[in-house]
Amino acid sequence: MVPVSAELAHRSRPVPRLVLGQARYQLLLLTRSPLGFLLTLVLPLLLLVSLNVITPGGASTAPAGLPYAQFLTPAVSAFCLLNAAYVTTITSVVHAREEGVLKRLRGTPLPAWTYLAGRFTAALVTSAISIAIIVGVAVVFFKVHLVWHAFGYFVLAGLLGIVSFFLVAAAVSVLVSKTETALPVAFGTMLPLAFISDVFFSSRKGPHWLHDLASVFPVAPVARAMEAAFNPATTAWPMPVTGLISVLCWTAAGAAVIVLAFRWDPGPFRFRPRHHPH
Amino acid sequence: MEGMAVGRPPAIEVDGLCMDYGPFRAVDGVSFQVAAGEIYGLLGPNGAGKTTTVEILEGHRRRTAGRVRVLGFDPCHGGRRFRERVGIVLQSGGNDAELSVREMVSLYASFYANPLSVTDVITQVGLAGKQRARTRTLSGGQLRRLDLALALVGKPDLIFLDEPTTGFDPNARRDAWQMISELRRSGTTILLTSHYLDEVQQLADRVGVMSHGHLVEESTPAALGGRDLAGTVITFDLPPSFTAGDLPAGPWDQAMPGGQVSMHTDEPTEVLLALTQWAAGHELELPGLTVVRPTLEEVYLRIIGRETVGGARVG
Repeated sequence: MVPVSAELAHRSRPVPRLVLGQARYQLLLLTRSPLGFLLTLVLPLLLLVSLNVITPGGASTAPAGLPYAQFLTPAVSAFCLLNAAYVTTITSVVHAREEGVLKRLRGTPLPAWTYLAGRFTAALVTSAISIAIIVGVAVVFFKVHLVWHAFGYFVLAGLLGIVSFFLVAAAVSVLVSKTETALPVAFGTMLPLAFISDVFFSSRKGPHWLHDLASVFPVAPVARAMEAAFNPATTAWPMPVTGLISVLCWTAAGAAVIVLAFRWDPGPFRFRPRHHPH
Repeated sequence: MEGMAVGRPPAIEVDGLCMDYGPFRAVDGVSFQVAAGEIYGLLGPNGAGKTTTVEILEGHRRRTAGRVRVLGFDPCHGGRRFRERVGIVLQSGGNDAELSVREMVSLYASFYANPLSVTDVITQVGLAGKQRARTRTLSGGQLRRLDLALALVGKPDLIFLDEPTTGFDPNARRDAWQMISELRRSGTTILLTSHYLDEVQQLADRVGVMSHGHLVEESTPAALGGRDLAGTVITFDLPPSFTAGDLPAGPWDQAMPGGQVSMHTDEPTEVLLALTQWAAGHELELPGLTVVRPTLEEVYLRIIGRETVGGARVG
């Protein structure tokens, strides 16, 4: 074994390859995790089928003139994003940190941000696959029509959502100290928001204050924009400016927490101002 | 010190290192150097500050004060270029349970521009037969071997080994020692922490002992705590019908009448000659005769005991 002491011999690995390697690693882990499979594919599919088939009154909550499946398909797609980018990120980051995986990675030349970029890419890929399956099933079995002239809005709103949900999830993971509390925290924060944010039923017949409250959080603007993109009447960018501001604010807040406080070491969260040695 | 490189700058330089956790000072003014190619053993009881010190050198923690250079880098700000040249074996954990040994080593190899062959590293740590096994199925000793493989795969110039053989059976420990000795021969610098004093004695060129956040002793394993100059202890069971007063070259210590006698001496050859001549003259055997120098463990425990009882730093 020959030690490499010359600086030139230590040329760094190209960053895009590191990001792709991390994404592949995260996807490999996801394929071996029953929970990941359940969250990103089985649960959304179950929701799509059960709400369409079992809930006879569902149609009454859909926007006027729109079949319930036409509303539910993009809504469940938003649910896919929440599972892939929010729930999976919180549970897997906390698990990796508390098991010492992050601490070990931090001791390697892997730049910190490429780990998160790899996770994000994996979330993007799993979201895309699960949404493609959901939409495919909806088109084949529930006669859902793709609104091609608004499909770009669907993709754009989805991308905005996945970035926002991912960064907020990575920020939330900082505050969660135990692996066993990660899933309750993730579902405990996501499900109530999903219920009031038009992910399962449209809130247009609900109280106004609930509709307005949901708009403060990033889920409702994203879900409503994705749903509007499946409405043939939509001809312009369907997210109101206030909704966009809300999503961007949450995204920026998540990014700020990550920059200031993301943790690589296991253990409880303690805020320590960074100090530099003299 | 066969791997040490004369004329090369030290691999590790620590000067006046301090680390505070709130009002508690975990490391207080620690200074030492590790030469390039040297194996330096850091000893100390739990809470002595050695893990904190090592984690600062690894770049895992930001120090409160003091100067630290590792391979010429400040570990806090060394970034990728620093991390590409060090390998770290953490005290515990850090494996993805659902990945196989080969997948783990391949993943870590992918972080480096010029890694070692994955197959070679797995073979070197003795996991060739387990390379397709998921890490959750490995024993404690096998996991430590995997830890070592992950630290080695980037061809580091400096390796931090934190309790590298904990959980190993005696054979596996000997194999690991062999591997570490080979690293030494290749010129790799190693900072080793261990609870096994025989391991440190076997492997380390120099040893530092930490207690209460201070570096209280630093020497070669042979000379630690004045071990090389300390007297030899001669012990044997006193034959019946004799007393300690009958023995030559005294005085001999006797814990109880008719029991074992012993003597600390700086002239063991002369004392042994007188004793064996005396025994031969009386046609006696000397049952239980032993001639020993203080072990590293005895010296270490004495140093730690002195620090604990005294509660103050020894200069």
